Amino acid sequence: MTARALPAPVRALRRPMGALAGGWLLLVILMAVLAPLITPYAYDIQSLKEAYQPASSAHWLGTDEFGRDLLTRLIHGARTSLSVSGIAIFLSVLCGMVLGAAAAWFGGWFDRAVTVVVDLTWSFPEILIALILVAIIGPGTTGTMVAISVAYLAQFTRLTRAQILTLRGETFIEAARSLGASNSHILRRHLLPNALAPVLVSAMLATGDAIILEATLGFFGLGAQPPVPSWGGMMSAGSALIFKAPWIIVFPGLTVAVTVVAINLFGDALIAELDIRNRMGGRA
Amino acid sequence: MTCSFRKTLLAASVSLSALFAANATLAQEAVFVTSSNEVGVPTLDPIRANNLGRATTLLFDRMVSQAADLSYHPWLAESWEEAPDGMSWTFKLKPGVKFHNGEPFNAETIKAWLELFKASENAYMSEAIAEVQVVDENTVKFVMSRPEPNMLYNLSSTYMSVVEPKAWTALGENFGVTEAYGTGPFKLESFTIGQETVLVRNDDYTWGPALAENHGPAKIARITLREIAEDSTALLELKTGGVDLLLSVPADLIPEVQKEANLAVMMLPGQDVWYMPINVTKAPFDDIRLREAAAKAINQEEILASVFGGVGTVADTFLISALPESHVADSAKIHYDPARSNALLDEAGWKMGANGVREKDGKPLKVSLWVQSDTAFRRVAEVVQAELKAVGIEAEITTFDSSMIRDQYKTGEQQLAVRSYNWDNADIVDWFFGGDRLGYPNVSMFNDPKAEELRKAAMTGAKNMEERVKNFTAYHEYVLSQFPMAPIYQPVDAIAYNKDRLTLPEKIDAPGIGTVAVLGMEVKE
Repeated sequence: MTARALPAPVRALRRPMGALAGGWLLLVILMAVLAPLITPYAYDIQSLKEAYQPASSAHWLGTDEFGRDLLTRLIHGARTSLSVSGIAIFLSVLCGMVLGAAAAWFGGWFDRAVTVVVDLTWSFPEILIALILVAIIGPGTTGTMVAISVAYLAQFTRLTRAQILTLRGETFIEAARSLGASNSHILRRHLLPNALAPVLVSAMLATGDAIILEATLGFFGLGAQPPVPSWGGMMSAGSALIFKAPWIIVFPGLTVAVTVVAINLFGDALIAELDIRNRMGGRA
Repeated sequence: MTCSFRKTLLAASVSLSALFAANATLAQEAVFVTSSNEVGVPTLDPIRANNLGRATTLLFDRMVSQAADLSYHPWLAESWEEAPDGMSWTFKLKPGVKFHNGEPFNAETIKAWLELFKASENAYMSEAIAEVQVVDENTVKFVMSRPEPNMLYNLSSTYMSVVEPKAWTALGENFGVTEAYGTGPFKLESFTIGQETVLVRNDDYTWGPALAENHGPAKIARITLREIAEDSTALLELKTGGVDLLLSVPADLIPEVQKEANLAVMMLPGQDVWYMPINVTKAPFDDIRLREAAAKAINQEEILASVFGGVGTVADTFLISALPESHVADSAKIHYDPARSNALLDEAGWKMGANGVREKDGKPLKVSLWVQSDTAFRRVAEVVQAELKAVGIEAEITTFDSSMIRDQYKTGEQQLAVRSYNWDNADIVDWFFGGDRLGYPNVSMFNDPKAEELRKAAMTGAKNMEERVKNFTAYHEYVLSQFPMAPIYQPVDAIAYNKDRLTLPEKIDAPGIGTVAVLGMEVKE
């Protein structure tokens, strides 16, 4: 019973997989936040004489092609990758929920218009939408952020809309309405909070995909522009040096892989803890 | 279940038989990878293109060929004579030459072809020819409007490859895309933009350049020219046997090739120059002091050593050092001089700020640095960025797709960029700094009245080669003094190939890998 009272993410941490994954995510987030304090070197100062050094006590993960400390760049890269994908998904969830809720609640031509546009973007792979948008906006962190949030907008709009459509027929909504509650009151106080849990879990999982998308755009040279490090950008530079200095691509690659897997595992634990299906009609 | 199993079986047998079929013809076939700056060329048509791939050099022949020492030798023209006053040229053409579509090659062809060439982007190459006279079937005479000491060079350029004029007119824009007819040692089988060009041997070919040991036909029956944008991917393909030859290997990958027992590297004198164009119309670089400061902040030696592994040489003028016009006065050469950069920036009122970026009237010295997405360019751009930062200029890198960056330059919004060109004649100064080509090719947006005067003298004012060299040296020197760019690096041309699959001629007497080299290549049985 006491366990039930704790928030779901904390409960997810009590599961072994959840703990492992959550621990890694916390570590990465913490390092990203504290990057300038904990890194021993500057991420942008080149020292060409020290280029291509393998791991050593001075440089734990070695140096890159410009003699910059790889670990420092990896930690600063976490800042770029996590903030870009995190903010992008946050924006995407925000816009997606507003659009989806409005479409479901008002119905009619507005719903049809939203559905058509959403289905249209849904039919393209996210990377394609992101590439087109970055081409229009221009490369850089802002461009990448907007591109990723638009790419995932369809997903959250659809999810919210579906949630609201199932919920609006429930008796507690009818009760609220018969008590004289206004449209916006019902939406804000009854419908959105109930639709939130699945959307948040889905947002969590999408963040993993967004990190990959950000890395992909960075790999194409369209993400954060040098000397600002991003995991994808580092892998792109390393791909040309895979024979000469494999660590330049291996470490960022591993970091992306482990982080994305951790997000998925933690997401799974969260779904199990939230028991989303059972809570659907619960608290109103 | 059964159905999908059957499908799998069918697919397996189909791919297996395809594999056998491929093996049967493997012996006479070769797969080359074009150099990465040729990726995405939209046409093989030498008249319409302003960037040509290697396929064009194998599909079309030229009137004149060039040796490794840049001297001129017969090809489609057997011999030639220039009038003493330079006002006419007479060319004797090789008899018996035929185009891929069966049309004969003769004096009439030359007349018709030069007519087409007049409307092209590269028309300046033939603009001194006032009239083309057909003397007899195999003799053609150019009546000149002025002497053109560069005539033989122009006729040896890929851009003056001889196309079949009737097909060119009939096919319009499709010439060089869907079909292409020249007299070259290979015919076009297919061309997929951005992917590959498939060439098949022209069995009638017997008119190879004078310097080739084999005058034709080629020994290789079929060449696939693949376009791979990333050099390390191309190298991986070579290592794993997916391709047989890379037409361009960047300097930093040469040691990787040399490590492999079955691979070999061949180096030829390079014709590339890497440089940093500076847009003279965009503040703060409308001030010559800032241009000089930026140019002299570039440490060429450091870039050569760190990015290119010491292979090649530094560039200190705009031209490759093999050209006589590159021998400008020492004072005009552009070298790394951070003390001078700092002094100039101080003098121009840009004071060093707290964060290492200079400021003037509260505004930071922040500029843009454009670069194409290929790895080597990005790497040079990052070093340049750090070197500019060292004198207090903050450069923000913007990466563009390699095939799109030319269009971006046409907007004129660039400030600094890192790019390279490939050319072996001094007229490249005119191409990149001529006042009538602003945006692209004139990325620097350089349009200076004195330069235009010198340019005119260099391009059209010389009566003979000696005078042309003198005029071009003066033009080149003046352009350098205005700092519309900073020279960076001169690579060598390195090709890598699989020794188990290909035999290359011992000596290639040509300025690069083209018809002479390919005619001498053989696939090992």
